[in-house]
Amino acid sequence: MPLLLAETSFLEVRPGLIFWTLVTFVLAALVLRRVAWGPIVARVDEREKTIQAAIDAAKHERAEAEKLLGEQKAAIAQARREAGEMVRKNAEDVERLRADLLAKARAQAEELKADAKRSIEDEKAKAVAEVKGVVADLAIQIAEKLLGENLDADKQRKLAQQYLDSLGRPSSTRPS
Amino acid sequence: MSRYVALLGWMLATVALAAEEPAEHAAKHVPPGKLQAVVEETEEPPQDTAGYILHHVLDSETLAFQVPLRDKEFKYRFPVWRIPLKAGACPANVHEKASLGAGCLDLSLTKMSAMLVLATVVLVLVFLLGTRKQEGGLVPRGRLANFLEMMVVFVRNEIAIPNIGKEEGPRYVPYLLTVFFFILTINLLGLFPWMSSATGNIAVTGALAAITFVLTQVASIRSAGFLGYLKHLTGGVPVFLWPIMIPVEVLGLFTKPFALTLRLFANMLAGHIVLFCLIGLIFFIGHIAVAAVAVPLGMAIYFLELFVAFLQAYIFTMLSSLFIGMGVAMGHHPEAHEAEGTHPPAAH
Repeated sequence: MPLLLAETSFLEVRPGLIFWTLVTFVLAALVLRRVAWGPIVARVDEREKTIQAAIDAAKHERAEAEKLLGEQKAAIAQARREAGEMVRKNAEDVERLRADLLAKARAQAEELKADAKRSIEDEKAKAVAEVKGVVADLAIQIAEKLLGENLDADKQRKLAQQYLDSLGRPSSTRPS
Repeated sequence: MSRYVALLGWMLATVALAAEEPAEHAAKHVPPGKLQAVVEETEEPPQDTAGYILHHVLDSETLAFQVPLRDKEFKYRFPVWRIPLKAGACPANVHEKASLGAGCLDLSLTKMSAMLVLATVVLVLVFLLGTRKQEGGLVPRGRLANFLEMMVVFVRNEIAIPNIGKEEGPRYVPYLLTVFFFILTINLLGLFPWMSSATGNIAVTGALAAITFVLTQVASIRSAGFLGYLKHLTGGVPVFLWPIMIPVEVLGLFTKPFALTLRLFANMLAGHIVLFCLIGLIFFIGHIAVAAVAVPLGMAIYFLELFVAFLQAYIFTMLSSLFIGMGVAMGHHPEAHEAEGTHPPAAH
């Protein structure tokens, strides 16, 4: 141990070493500041800025895209709603048209039926009147045959007509 | 820290015991080199085991490169550069120790200063390599460039800005980056064969801590003004207490760099001594079987040292930024620094 302590001292401070430490440190600081710290820190800062800008831009674009997407969704919903409304309206229209047509057709049919009935009545009345005339003529001819042609033609016809008219009246006025 | 101290003590005891045993080959004093720088070959390296270990961790005027598996050693003696502060203060014989107390300033390059220069060169080369060809936009390319950038960003965002603040922090980032990488490179250099860690020398760590000290004072004066700085030294107590307070405050100023100095120095030195002791055990005991234990243990310590190299560089930088941050805060929080200023920082 004495040998160790005599020969050396860990705590020996050499002024020369302090001097060289300061010199090399200052030189290293100056050179590295120029070669390393400046460029590296500048690059890191620039990259940070670029990345930040890119992130900001991406966020902005995303927000924009979301907004556009929302707008498009709204537009699609609107279109869908309108289409649905249109379909419903069309269905209503068709229904109404069908009802109209049906009603019209029914009315026409009614009218036709009424016309047909009326003309049948007319024809019937006409036919009855005709039958009446024919019957009167037949009766006169029969009566002439029976009476021996004494009565003149006009008087007979009048008589027969009266008789025939009374045929159309209620039974109380009908001669027995 | 205490673990290191214990290990250091144990190893020193081992070394001392081994050294006191009569060595078979007495330590032959290597014949001193000439005045000019010369490269000489010596056939017999020193066999003194304790000296062998200390030779690796202490500073010396010569660089020695041992040739593996051969008893050969290349030695280089640095040129002598001594400045006499008083006429005739420097001894005429260059092998005599020059003493600053006698008025001779010895600025000769030494092994550790050579390591400092080498570390600086390596550091600059690595950064030149790591930052070249970055024109290809802002996309990071290359593992080295990414790694360096990660470390730089770490020092800036995790050490400087949180401790010093967003406004003043960037001003001290270049210093903190330099101190971090400088210490890291020196620490790592000691893990290579033939190299040694200059941070295991108290003069180196002291000089680095002194720079932090100066910067801390500059930061304090910049933020609080010179008068505010002086006022801070009184601790804000009544005048009759100043004779007590001012020495305490001044002491507080110096304990910080002192702690920085000792922590880095002791950690690096202890690790290397432990490593050399483990390998040295083979030679102390003199049996090859010891290597089966010593080499794996030494390897474990080597990896621990690799970690410690980063850790201590980080701690030195971290504490430097903390101290600078406290200096910066002096002018910003007049109500807070009274409590903080009277106590030396507890972050040891």
